[in-house]
Amino acid sequence: MPVELHRDWIPVALSADLPAATVVPAHTPSGILALWRSESGKLTALADRCPHRGMRLSYGFVRGEALSCIYHGWSYGRTGQCQRIPAHPDLTPPAAIKAASYATEERNGVIWIAQNEPQEPPPTLDGFKPLRSMPLAVDADRLSPTGEVRTEFAGIDMLLLIVATGNGEAVAHIMIAASASKDDCVAASRAAEGWRRDCERLALEDRAS
Amino acid sequence: MILYDYILSPDAYKVRLMAALAGVKLDLRAVDVHPGREHESEPLRALNPAGSIPILIDGDLILTESAAMLVYLARLAAPEWLGDGDAAGGARIQQWLSFSPRLTDHLGGARATEMLAEPGDLPALQQAGIIDLRQLEAALIERRIEGQCFLAADRPTVADIACFPYAALAPDGGVSLDPYPSIRLWMRAIRMLPGFIEMPGIHRLHELKPEPLSTETPETV
Repeated sequence: MPVELHRDWIPVALSADLPAATVVPAHTPSGILALWRSESGKLTALADRCPHRGMRLSYGFVRGEALSCIYHGWSYGRTGQCQRIPAHPDLTPPAAIKAASYATEERNGVIWIAQNEPQEPPPTLDGFKPLRSMPLAVDADRLSPTGEVRTEFAGIDMLLLIVATGNGEAVAHIMIAASASKDDCVAASRAAEGWRRDCERLALEDRAS
Repeated sequence: MILYDYILSPDAYKVRLMAALAGVKLDLRAVDVHPGREHESEPLRALNPAGSIPILIDGDLILTESAAMLVYLARLAAPEWLGDGDAAGGARIQQWLSFSPRLTDHLGGARATEMLAEPGDLPALQQAGIIDLRQLEAALIERRIEGQCFLAADRPTVADIACFPYAALAPDGGVSLDPYPSIRLWMRAIRMLPGFIEMPGIHRLHELKPEPLSTETPETV
């Protein structure tokens, strides 16, 4: 099924780039989220802003089943509710101290975040496996009006999931044919670098003319 | 062994970090780089005519290039940090040691321009730094495809230490590390190493320590 039918879901990261007990900044067309995986493996996406002082939660750290802010250590659970304020250990944090949370799904090595209230799960992308996520200084619409590019790198079938990340930039989550060997993956990753150089050169030339 | 040091210098930090990881004790001499510009004073120029920091002195040996200091410390106390000696592995380490001054020039140049108001063409330095980070990211992706997480071997080497600080401090020069998942995982692997030490802007992994007990006084409010 084409990815464009699933615009309620935004691909934001590859599962391999988010091991247990880590947090990453996930760029979406509407802003950055703090995407984290708990020690037991559960995924959560929260607004990337600590309700206390506005520090990016994606600069924080995951301990156990909570995400802690790097600034003062306030920690948040999977609902975004503040669980603990280290400077006031006996205080139960008020319910109002809560970071907005977003639905996530993980399928076939890709992590998706819900935009609205999706009626169906994100696509499985059968026949492909994740290779790498690649940022480009190119407008996403230029790369693909549908959010999807099917192409070949080094003679191997590729599926690129394109997401606008603001400021005329985009991320391509690059999927490679599921049958690809390690050597194929290296060759395709190198070819992707060339593809990016081409895309960025063309975009620059367009802007100049 | 004496290290003429500056706490905010990523090149000096490389040497402190390598020494800590290798278990070598350094006699640190703090140099007033900013605002005193002591590194350009005659006593230090006598040791290093280039007027740069760090300077490592061990008896008659005077080293003024951080990559050479890393190799020296590793050879003395932790030879496993020099790889296992095969031709390709050795060349790969040398490749990254030779690459690391590009990070110093570009990302370090952007950082000095942003933080210390040194003269510099900030957008050009940032753009050059992004090209360097992309090269680092692409190399680390290939290592990950092979099931490895360090730059030049199946274990950390001097190559990782030579490239780590300026990459980690890229945000000080206005260059985001958000787009580089493999660089971020590599930095995490380095920060997890036993004996890892911090510098301002590069903190330890708090999650490796247990949750502080509620009876302890917190460091900040």
